[in-house]
Amino acid sequence: MDLAGVAADLRRVTVELAAAGHAVGSGVVWAPDWVVTNAHVAPHAHLIVRRADGAEAHGHVVARDRHADLALLQVPGLGLSAATLAPADELRVGSLVVAVGHPFGVRGALTTGIVHAMGSFVPGGRSWIQGDLRLAPGNSGGPLADVRGRVVGINAMIVGTLALAIPVSDVTRFVRDAG
Amino acid sequence: MDRLHALSDELAAAVQQAGRAVLAVHARPRLPSTGVHWRPGLVVTANHTVRADEGLTVTRPDGRSVPATLVGRDPVRDLAVLRVDVADVAVAELGDSDAVRVGHMVLALGAGPRASWGVISAIGAAHARSADVDLFSLDLTLYAGFSGGPLVDAQRHVVGINTSGMSRQMQLAVPASVVSRTVDALVSHGRMPQGYLGVGTQTVRVPAAMREQLHLDQALALIVVDVQAGSPAAAGLLIGDVILALDGHAIADPVDLRRLLRPERIGQRITARVVRGGQARDVELTIGERPARPR
Repeated sequence: MDLAGVAADLRRVTVELAAAGHAVGSGVVWAPDWVVTNAHVAPHAHLIVRRADGAEAHGHVVARDRHADLALLQVPGLGLSAATLAPADELRVGSLVVAVGHPFGVRGALTTGIVHAMGSFVPGGRSWIQGDLRLAPGNSGGPLADVRGRVVGINAMIVGTLALAIPVSDVTRFVRDAG
Repeated sequence: MDRLHALSDELAAAVQQAGRAVLAVHARPRLPSTGVHWRPGLVVTANHTVRADEGLTVTRPDGRSVPATLVGRDPVRDLAVLRVDVADVAVAELGDSDAVRVGHMVLALGAGPRASWGVISAIGAAHARSADVDLFSLDLTLYAGFSGGPLVDAQRHVVGINTSGMSRQMQLAVPASVVSRTVDALVSHGRMPQGYLGVGTQTVRVPAAMREQLHLDQALALIVVDVQAGSPAAAGLLIGDVILALDGHAIADPVDLRRLLRPERIGQRITARVVRGGQARDVELTIGERPARPR
């Protein structure tokens, strides 16, 4: 599969979230009719969820964890199949990664880079996938994936030129606890 | 396995393999820099990150700290060499830095390991004012603490030492062949000898009349504005001489002169074509070694 194929696969599971008429970020289809995003992207109880093909649905936040910066939305009638998740132990420093999101309102933008480092910044701190790739605010809540299009994390933060993503294992735990 | 996935695995393997010879260097307050185990017991890092001469430590890839002593510095190429007892830490596998070309895919590593990825964007000396050698300009991010770390090619070999300390705008790397020469010099002399003539020059336009009279093509040359007493230049050059060429190569920029004074040329003779009193003549000079302190 080439990068264009990876991008097409990822766009199908990446949604754009809007509140009060403004785009607020991205989200990942975690299960049919369920979307995961960042808590800071979903401060409102109700959001418009826009698919890559332009179709829209209404979503409502069923769980939000500000500390983990994760939110879970239920989106009846979204009609998208879930993203494929990468095995937890395959990612290494230097692995190629791709991100899809809506930076500055550019829909479905693809960026590529590598894993810069993994783990916490301070001893005992929370674990991040630190990416050497260019992200912008509209990427928040969107997928970071390997070059097979399997999601490895949820993009959450930009520190300098580093992109920080929440590892899939943390997201899975959040979703399980929310359910 | 598809090509993208193979490339991803190859990059991760390069980080892992080259990272075995990468250490954190603690030689300045707060932010550690990166060093490479270049030869058994010798670690290369970026000179600008070594603020102290004593009390240095390095952190091995396994997290253990060991003391280090300063062997020498080469401020011109922003390199410093430390002696460290790390017999069981892998020595870097060096690649052929002369084979590196613009567009080649490379990784920069920091201790940890941490990594960034990009391409060689240019090769040349013009990017750093002080440089007398060709440097690699990098289209990648040198993150905080990456200076002194290895530039790694697609064959997992170290082809240079990265530094953000030689240029404000550019991310640069010193080629591995240059690093090895510097290590040789610092280990044997404790410092990097610099070629030296003892002459101050400025670029001048060659007057049309002179060009006509002497049948010259070149529009620019160097005028001698200073000759230091007792220097190699004092044996043959006078203030006011116009240097047209050195060893048959036209010269028009003081930087060209500095690039000629590489360490390996110390002791060699050089012929300067100069114009003095309207007459062109050849002057024989011997390249000396720059004194430790300016005279």
